[in-house]
Amino acid sequence: MTTYNEPPTTNHEPRTRELAIRWLESEHLVFVFTAVGFLVLWPVTPGLVTRQNLSNVLLTLLPLLVLACGQTVVLITGGIDLSACAIMAVTSVVGGLAMNGDTGWLAGSVWAVPIGLLLMVGVGLAIGAFNGFSVAVLRMPPFMVTLTGMMFFGGLATWLTRSETIYNLPSAFNALGGCLPLVATLAFGLALVVHMLLSRTLYGRWFYAVGQNTRMARVSGVPVSAVTFGAYVLSGLLAAAAAILYTGQAETASPFLGQRLLLDVIAATVIGGTSLFGGRGKVVWTVYGVLFIKLLDNSLNLLNCTYFTVTMVKGAAVLAAALLDATRRRWLEVGT
Amino acid sequence: MSALLQFDGITKRFGGVPVLRDITLALQPGITLGMVGENGAGKSTLLNILGGNLRPDAGRMTWEGGAYAPTGPADAEAVGIAFVHQELNLFPNLSIGENLFLTRFPRRGRWPVIHHRAVATETARWLLEVGLTAPPDTLVESLSAGERQLVEIARALSSQPRLILFDEPTTSLSERETRQFFALMERLRARGLTMIYISHTLEDVLRLSDELAVLRDGTLVAHGPRAEFDVDRLVTLMVGRRLDQLFPARQRAPVVGNEPAVEERPIDPRQAAQVKARSGTGTVPRGPCRPLLEVRGLTRTGVVQDISFQLNAGEVLGVFGLMGAGRSELAQILFGLEPFEAGSVSICGRPLVSPRPTHCLREGMAYLTESRHEDGLALEASIAENLALVTLRSHARSGTGWLNRVTLAAAVRSIREAVRLTPTARDDAPVRTLSGGNQQRVVLGKWLLAKPQVLILDEPTRGIDVGAKFEIHQLILQRAEAGAGVLIISSELEELIGLCDRILVMRRGELVDELSRSKFDRERILRAALHERSAT
Amino acid sequence: MNTARRHATLLMLNNVPMVLFVAALFGFGALAPSFLTPANLLNLLVQASATAIVATGATFVLLTAGVDLSVGSIMFVAAALSGKLLLTQDWSPPLVFGSMVLLGGVCGLLNGFLVARLGLIAFIATLGTQYLGRGFGMWLTETRAMNLPENFTQLASLRLLGVPLPVLAAALVVGLAHGLLMHTPVGRQVYAVGQDAAAARKAGINVPAVLWLVYVLCGLCAGLGGAVALAQIGSVAPTFGMNREFSAIAAAVLGGTSLFGGRGRVWPGTAFGAVLIQAVENGLHNANADPYFYPLVTGGIIFVAVLLDSVRSRLLGALGRRRIRPN
Repeated sequence: MTTYNEPPTTNHEPRTRELAIRWLESEHLVFVFTAVGFLVLWPVTPGLVTRQNLSNVLLTLLPLLVLACGQTVVLITGGIDLSACAIMAVTSVVGGLAMNGDTGWLAGSVWAVPIGLLLMVGVGLAIGAFNGFSVAVLRMPPFMVTLTGMMFFGGLATWLTRSETIYNLPSAFNALGGCLPLVATLAFGLALVVHMLLSRTLYGRWFYAVGQNTRMARVSGVPVSAVTFGAYVLSGLLAAAAAILYTGQAETASPFLGQRLLLDVIAATVIGGTSLFGGRGKVVWTVYGVLFIKLLDNSLNLLNCTYFTVTMVKGAAVLAAALLDATRRRWLEVGT
Repeated sequence: MSALLQFDGITKRFGGVPVLRDITLALQPGITLGMVGENGAGKSTLLNILGGNLRPDAGRMTWEGGAYAPTGPADAEAVGIAFVHQELNLFPNLSIGENLFLTRFPRRGRWPVIHHRAVATETARWLLEVGLTAPPDTLVESLSAGERQLVEIARALSSQPRLILFDEPTTSLSERETRQFFALMERLRARGLTMIYISHTLEDVLRLSDELAVLRDGTLVAHGPRAEFDVDRLVTLMVGRRLDQLFPARQRAPVVGNEPAVEERPIDPRQAAQVKARSGTGTVPRGPCRPLLEVRGLTRTGVVQDISFQLNAGEVLGVFGLMGAGRSELAQILFGLEPFEAGSVSICGRPLVSPRPTHCLREGMAYLTESRHEDGLALEASIAENLALVTLRSHARSGTGWLNRVTLAAAVRSIREAVRLTPTARDDAPVRTLSGGNQQRVVLGKWLLAKPQVLILDEPTRGIDVGAKFEIHQLILQRAEAGAGVLIISSELEELIGLCDRILVMRRGELVDELSRSKFDRERILRAALHERSAT
Repeated sequence: MNTARRHATLLMLNNVPMVLFVAALFGFGALAPSFLTPANLLNLLVQASATAIVATGATFVLLTAGVDLSVGSIMFVAAALSGKLLLTQDWSPPLVFGSMVLLGGVCGLLNGFLVARLGLIAFIATLGTQYLGRGFGMWLTETRAMNLPENFTQLASLRLLGVPLPVLAAALVVGLAHGLLMHTPVGRQVYAVGQDAAAARKAGINVPAVLWLVYVLCGLCAGLGGAVALAQIGSVAPTFGMNREFSAIAAAVLGGTSLFGGRGRVWPGTAFGAVLIQAVENGLHNANADPYFYPLVTGGIIFVAVLLDSVRSRLLGALGRRRIRPN
């Protein structure tokens, strides 16, 4: 049957809708919210603007940023990585097992830290590759694969350590996570690399194309399977990097690392503006999202809200962001 | 006898392109009306308006004397109109009976419990009627395409309609099933059911119908009792002659002997080294390449059968056929999107072994798909991003993939000019804000940037205005004159006749005819596509 | 792959759950003879009851190609609220059961609203409500474990005609769900919506209403499953119901329900899947396997089940393609 698909131009949309869409589409909406929120909370939140507090927040914010960058890339291709935090757990545990001074595989060796780091990165890459293979080649649904991965690898981490935390990590390693300038350099460096990848390279364009219209990407010669695979590998790699930072900070390797972070990661990316439907997202937006979530987290904690209140508020924030995402998509579809 | 159904001045436009013009038609009860016309003549659109899926821009309909303006399929069903679509709307994971009664299950008393026995008996009755021997609880997924079509028909019948619309009901049916279907039609006719029947098999339409209506370019060009028509007259009416359409003149005759060097540039510099190594010569092979594209015995079970043809450099080869003839499927196989089981596809003598789109691109092929919305464009992405996608690799540094924005912008600029994309749209504007004609230019521009040797176009001017059509035709010809081979699939015979050096006709997955320019004959072409053979 | 082989593979894939189940039974029976005793099997059923109930609810949602990641939190909220009422207001146990079911339904309404009315993607909507629920429940219990009195926990060991109450509850739920899905119009429409929501709309089905229904049913089942689990466990800890969504989805997928929608049965499918999962856990326990192994084993099994589901889905897609040349 002949179909004539003729989308009207945006001139036909009512003015208010046009304005509303432009406002919704504004890149910096979240940042403005965060900044305003910060200013509003400043007078009412005791201890918010102390040097101690701010440096703590930064220290925990930066690894989250790294994690969220990986999630951003996966979301751009239209998938999701729910196992990112479990990857962190396994990575941390492997690093701990390798490097700890008591029973570590590399204990005492001068190469302990470099090899340990390599191992940790390797773990992230391997699990990422597994996820990527399942989604890209075996064509399994991303949310289920990574949900299963979350269970499996979380269990793996616990099994490897018998739920125990590993202490006595080399101080050189701990410095990686504890020294703010170093952490900042690493985290921003990685974020910058991802940003460059997405905005200035061929591969970045391919990520977007796959997320926007997979069929079109395939027809246009984009190696869709390889691109999808790569996104998950990158997410795994960045999860490993985040694990390195978190583990160094805590100076312990724990199989429970990241258990409570999944919500933060998803919230940060989605609130920042990266779309769950794929094809849309930026590192800058994720930075905004991470700032927002951290501000929320920190201020609520300082206001003595209980952990559960914080969880509820974050959950509600995720829902609000998802709603925004869905509404925006629907309005744009109606316009076409 | 008052008419059961009356169309008065029905007009419909899709984005400015008129699809139905002032259709006025009366349908008496008990009549079987056969409707014929080429693709795009408006038949399906008219039926969709009748069935409530579309609303007319002007005109009105009358049902049994009263006004009839359906807002959805439910309204049509309510008055007793059943629609058997070309595209099956069955749920394969449900049984035949469940598909039939999905929204009107017979219940046990007033409880919301399905009366399975009643469903089974009723379903069996309708299956018997349509001649399908399958138990009512068979899952639709285990039925063949032909059997599914029969289920679709059974579903229409089971709502005991006053009027049934058949849109190409026999496309998926085997010989035997088609015969059964015709027997069914005779039975229904004998019972006094009113029917509208669209088909491209003219003999069948003539045999079954009481009256015939011919649509051409959205106009009703003939309507009368069967006796006034025969196949010849129908074909002539369908084809007609359109004097208002102008096509850019071919600048020169298609090359037959001494073509200039084909622009056989690999798509990106990285591949040049590979090509070098592969061809064994020191430079990229130059010189005439005959044939540019050779297809031999291409077969994929159930899709295409034994397709063989050649495409030469500088040539525009048209592929005509009706919906479902397999043309787009052929293009997909050529471009490596779908596999084939037998035969070969070669470019410049080099056979493409188990091709994929990336591979075909490297060999200089380009494929503009049938639906720009589905797989031609990323609607959310900008014009520049869409234009650059295919040739992105050539602007990227090997290894890091770092994009050279300067050369990218220059390429985008140059192709925007070449395809005459509206200058008011900014490079970073999302493509969905463009009109259809401009969107199509973007898709075409995307592929033209790759300077392809073999350009496969699937309905490149569908759904766009006349001005844009003309310009796109110019671009196609320019490309051919630069030495590429163009394979253009179209349902518009006029377009092909205006542009092509040769026309291939496909029917049911096979190549049934091939004509060169000097022998272009509309009626012969249409006949070949319509399961008719020309007398000559 | 030609059509005949596709059909054969499909047939095999559709029956894998059954095969798996029988194989597992025999496998475990061989490993530990005490496994196949009636007492042990009954015990298995009792332990699997809560999972079976929750998984049945999850099946409804999965059939529409959706997912409900919040069932664990729904269980928790329902348990927390009702537990509080039981302890502070001294409600009778049957009333508590009833209130938990009702609360589950209310939570299901929220999910239904987000997915059916607001059009959010199911997994993110229910991920959000999962966190909302967990937080809310923890606030209710003030992060302390609530121990429930005997008059409630003894419900778990109550027997009617020799059948333990949890098993009866599960059987009732499975039976009702099966009846709803197989023998009512709306049940068949659930399958249609899961197969192709757009086509279902065109066919005249009220798709939003169907979606509302499945999420509410899922919530109700989560509430009831929570009640059964609560009776068996006896206290509401902050981790009550955690990761239950995973075992629920796992049970459904193992039982043949497709994540892509439109395919699956509560009986025998999900019910068997729930028992299978419990059997695996019991089997590991009996074999004195490392308790840390459990998530690894279940994870692996689920992965294989989802893989088979994906393969099946692709085969079905290939089979359903329209043919240009009918033979």
